[in-house]
Amino acid sequence: MTHILRKYMLAAASVIALVGASPAFAATELTVQRFFGACDADWGKNTDVSKAVGECGIITSLINKFNADNPDVHVTVTTVEWPGYDQLTAQFAAGDPPDIVTIHQSVLADYQSKGLIMPLDDVLKSVGVAASDFTDASLGGVTKEGKIYGLPIDNWTMLYHINMDLFKKADLVNADGTPKLPTSPEELLAQAKQFKEKTGKPYFVQNLANEVALYTRNLYTYLFQQDSAFFADPKQVKINTPEAKKVLELYKAIYDNGDTVKDLDYAASINAFLAGEGGVHLNGTWVIGDYNASSETAGTALNKGGYAVYPYPQLFGGKKAQYADGHSWAVSTKDRSDEENAAIGKFLKFFHDNDFDWSRTGHLPAVKAVLDSKEFKALPHRDTIASIATLGTALPPTVQRQFAIQDIIGQEMSSAITGQKEIDAALSDMESRINELLANI
Amino acid sequence: MSAATGGNIIGRSFGDRVILILAIACALIMMAPVLWVVGLSLKDNKELMADMNSVFNAPYTLNNYINILATSSVFRWVLNSVIVSGGVTLATLVLSSLAGYGFARLNFPYRNTLFIIVLLGLAVPEQAVLIARHQLFSWLKFHNTYHGLILPGLSAPFGVFLMTQYFRAIPKELDEAALLDNASRFKIFWKVLLPLTVPAQATLGIFTFLGAWNDYFWPLISGTKKDMYTLTVGIASTQTNFAQSEGLGFLMSQAVFASAPILILYLFFQKYIVTAVSGAAVR
Repeated sequence: MTHILRKYMLAAASVIALVGASPAFAATELTVQRFFGACDADWGKNTDVSKAVGECGIITSLINKFNADNPDVHVTVTTVEWPGYDQLTAQFAAGDPPDIVTIHQSVLADYQSKGLIMPLDDVLKSVGVAASDFTDASLGGVTKEGKIYGLPIDNWTMLYHINMDLFKKADLVNADGTPKLPTSPEELLAQAKQFKEKTGKPYFVQNLANEVALYTRNLYTYLFQQDSAFFADPKQVKINTPEAKKVLELYKAIYDNGDTVKDLDYAASINAFLAGEGGVHLNGTWVIGDYNASSETAGTALNKGGYAVYPYPQLFGGKKAQYADGHSWAVSTKDRSDEENAAIGKFLKFFHDNDFDWSRTGHLPAVKAVLDSKEFKALPHRDTIASIATLGTALPPTVQRQFAIQDIIGQEMSSAITGQKEIDAALSDMESRINELLANI
Repeated sequence: MSAATGGNIIGRSFGDRVILILAIACALIMMAPVLWVVGLSLKDNKELMADMNSVFNAPYTLNNYINILATSSVFRWVLNSVIVSGGVTLATLVLSSLAGYGFARLNFPYRNTLFIIVLLGLAVPEQAVLIARHQLFSWLKFHNTYHGLILPGLSAPFGVFLMTQYFRAIPKELDEAALLDNASRFKIFWKVLLPLTVPAQATLGIFTFLGAWNDYFWPLISGTKKDMYTLTVGIASTQTNFAQSEGLGFLMSQAVFASAPILILYLFFQKYIVTAVSGAAVR
C-alpha cells in the first residue's frame, strides 16, 4: 500500500511540476478579431502572401505568415461579420475584448473616448515605427487628442470608375487619352447632358436604393471642397447650410435629368457598370482589382475602350479634398505582461512592414514609402489615384458615432434627391437628428 | 368539392382541377425565391458579379459549398446550434408543461395574478431587457457558454400560455379518476395528462426549436468567441465586406447550408409539423 501510495504521489508531483512549469517555452497568445470574411478553403494555410488576392486572402495569409515567422507568438483569429461593432461593444461591456481588432478610423473615437482602446505611441516607438512613416490621410485618421490610437493599414475613398469606351463616344476624352472631368457643378451637368445625347445612356451608375454610405461620402466630399466646417464643433453639426444645399441640388438635378441609373442597390449597380449601362460608377478603391480584371477580359463592356479610375473631380473653389476613411488595428486597454506587449508590438510592426501586400487589395497604403514605391505605382491604376494620400480627408477625429450619422445623412439625402422631401426640410431634419444623436452620447 | 379519386386529376370536377392548377401555380411562385437562391449558390462569385443572369447558364459549381465545408469551424457551429436549440426546446417543454399543469389544475394563492404576470412577459420585447441581461451574464461569467445561450430562451410566456390552455381543455374527470386510484399529483401529470398534450408539445417544440435555431442577435453578442458561434453567427462571419456583390454565390450557399438542417428536420417530421401548425391556427 505504501509503495502504491508513493507511486501515485510521485505521479501527482510530476503532473503538478509539468503544469506549473515556467511558461517560458510556451508561445504568447494574442487574440485578434477582424472582418474581411473567412476564406480558409483557399488561403487557410497559405504563408506566401504574394500569391494571395483579395482582402480576405491577403489578411489571412499575412497572419499565417506572422504566426510562421514568430513561433514565440501565437495569434488566434476570430472573424466577425462586417463591421463587427455590435459584437465588439458587447465584448467590451462583458470585460472580454480581443487584444487586437480591426476598427475603421472613423469609428476609433467611439472607443477611444471611453478609454477602451490604448494609445499606441509607445508601442510603435518600441518597434521602430514612427508617425512620420504614415501618409497624412492615414495619420490624421488614427490620431485623436494628439495620440495615435490605431495602426493605420490603409485609406480608402470613393472614386470615379470610368467606362472609357462610352466616354470616347461622348467626346469626353482629352487629347492625351485621359477622361475629361468637370471642374464645376454646371460643367458636370453639361457633360452629363452631352454624354446622354451621344451615347443614349446616363452619365452615372449609382447605387441609390437601400443605400446610405454613398450619399454621405458624396456630401462630405463636396462640403470639404467648399471649405465648409460643418463639424467645427465635434458635438454639433452645422449642415443646414447653403453649401450643403448646393450639393443636394446638384445631385437632385442629376437624378431629375435622368443622368443616373436609378433604383439600383450596390450589387446591381456593379452589374450595371460592368454591363456598360453608364459612364461613371461612383464606387470605392476596393473594386479596382475587379474592374481592372473585367477590362482585361475580352468581350466585356470595359474591355472595349478601357477602364480608368480617378479621384472625384474638384467641383468647387475651396480646398482640394475628398472624403476618405481607412482601416486600422486597435489594441484594447488591458493589463498585460511585458511579453504580451512585446508580441503586440511585433504584430503591428509586421503589418506596417507588409503594407505593400495589403495595398494590393485596392486600398491606398498607409505607409509613405509604399505609396512612393515603384512596386505600388506599377499596380494597375494606382498612379491616377495616388493623390488621395494628400487629398483624403476624414471628419474631425473626435466626432463620434460616425456610422450612425452616416445613416441619418443617407436617409435624408435619399428622400431629398428622389423627390420625397424638399431639400430644405431634409437638411433641417438631418441637422436636428444628428445633433440629437450627439447630444445623447 | 367532390371527393378526389386518388391523385387522378382527370377524375376530378372542373372546379377541383382549377383549384389544383392554381395551387400548383402558387406553389411554384412560392418556390421561385428558393430556386433562385439555390441557383445562385451553384455559380462562381465572379460570374455573378459580372452578370447576374449567368445563373441561367452553365457552368455550375459546388465550389461555394466546398468552401463552406473547408471552413474549419463550421461543424462546431452546427454542433453549437444543435446543443443550444435542443437545450432551449427541451427545457422550454419541461418548464412550460409543468407551469401549464400548475396553472390549469392546482389551486394556490394568487394563481390568477401570477398567470397574468407571466402573460405580461409577452408584451416585453427582448430588446428591452437586453442590456440588463447582458450585464447580469457578464457578472455571472455566462458569456461564451452554452448556458449563457440557452437560459434566455427559457423565458417562454407563450409556452406557458399554450400549455395552460391545453391542460384546461382536458376533462377534470380524468384527474378525479386517477385521484381515486391514489395517484399522486405528479403521477397524474406524468402518466395521465402529459401524454394527452403531445400535439401542443409538438407545436411548442417546433416553434421553439425554429426560433432558437434562427436566433442571431443574442448569440452575436453573447457567444463572441469563434468556437462558441452558433451556425447563424458563424456563417455570417465568413462573409466578405461586400458579400452581396463580390461573394453572392458564396452568400447564397451559406443560406442554403444554414437552412439544410431545418429542411431535413421538416422532411422527417412534416406530418407533425403540419398538424401542429394547423392545430395552432384552429385554436
